[in-house]
Amino acid sequence: MSGRSASERFAEVVLPHLADALALARWLTGNANDAEDVVQDACVKALAGLSSYAGGSARAWLLAIVRNAAFTWLARNRPRELVLVADPAEIVPAADEPYAESPEAALIERADQAAIEAAIAALPHPFREVLVLRDINGLSYKEIAAMLAVPIGTVMSRLARARGLLVRSLGEAS
Amino acid sequence: MNEDQPLPDRETDSLLLQALIDGELDAAAALTLERRLAADPALAAEHARLAAVQAAVRRLPRPAVSADFTARIAGLAAPAEAPAAKTAPARPRIDWRALAASVVVTAFLASGGTVLLMRGPASDDFAQAIASSHRRSLLAASPIDIASSDRHTVKPWLDAKIGLSPPAVDLAASGYALLGGRVDVIADRVVPSLVYRHREHLITLVAAPLEKAANLPSGPLSAGGFSLVHWRDGAFSYWAISDMARPDLDDFVARFRDAAANG
Repeated sequence: MSGRSASERFAEVVLPHLADALALARWLTGNANDAEDVVQDACVKALAGLSSYAGGSARAWLLAIVRNAAFTWLARNRPRELVLVADPAEIVPAADEPYAESPEAALIERADQAAIEAAIAALPHPFREVLVLRDINGLSYKEIAAMLAVPIGTVMSRLARARGLLVRSLGEAS
Repeated sequence: MNEDQPLPDRETDSLLLQALIDGELDAAAALTLERRLAADPALAAEHARLAAVQAAVRRLPRPAVSADFTARIAGLAAPAEAPAAKTAPARPRIDWRALAASVVVTAFLASGGTVLLMRGPASDDFAQAIASSHRRSLLAASPIDIASSDRHTVKPWLDAKIGLSPPAVDLAASGYALLGGRVDVIADRVVPSLVYRHREHLITLVAAPLEKAANLPSGPLSAGGFSLVHWRDGAFSYWAISDMARPDLDDFVARFRDAAANG
């Protein structure tokens, strides 16, 4: 009855994390319908690779598959988006801008949902990805670094850059 | 400001602030930074902005996992059971949505774990049972019976309730906040559990009086997508289970054992 046990394993390892998978895919593809397609692709791959799942965080494991599926999907459907992924290092942090010119925290707190979503959607892909993995999926720096195969320092600087951009756009939008 | 350390530059400050709001700084570094925040209004304002952005992103609603979608995905793994699958949606509709939602809610809820009696050395089945119990506890409306970060509250409570109290050590300084305690009844045995939180992850630490569980191997296990560590100390047999990565859970276990031994 190996079919049955694969089905059970799938139900235990994959199904509990569907909401997280959809949230990630929604932000990588840009909308909820495409997210379902991507997550379905990812789940097909997850099922096929279930035997390679070696314990540890099932969520991180599934999200890594979702991320790959999203890239495949983007390459097929929106190759232009991927151009931005090429070299995030080119987008250098604006480190010398004085704090005084930044908006008040209270302005950011008042931002409504539409403004927040628009601001996230406007982030360059590599920054958006790290921000979503951290603040929406709740992965640790270490888990994100492992998933993206980059050093933790890179995760941190991309995250700092993403949040810096959000501070600015939410401060303006309010 | 901390004595004669060189002044960190602006970019380093920014990374440190990020790490602080993400809970990724160790206690010493967090303390140093918090002291600087208290003394530096500009830095404090930047911290407030970053925290506001983080809160803004986190309060976005999660995409709903529709029942249809869940059924479609669940169906991927069971292609041969087509006739049964037709009647199935009613159950997955409730179970898996709730389960998926619970993962989201996990950040705010504590969980209690449970322990089973050992009837033999079937550690794999046992690990699965622990995982199932842990997951089930994530679904409970109130997974802790007593919510307190004060070990001097949790321990007497467990003691009064069931006459058993494992060492409830406070690991907040190491990044593992004690959320509370809980009592589980498994196979006619009453067992205490402690619940810790590390970032968004919950750790259930089940402590069963050492009796029949002697057959179980110590060391790392894994079940149902959770990491599981089992060990014995003193009068208790412990299981720590969480969705954290293995090295993080090992770290927790090492700190717990250390603190329990010295406390």
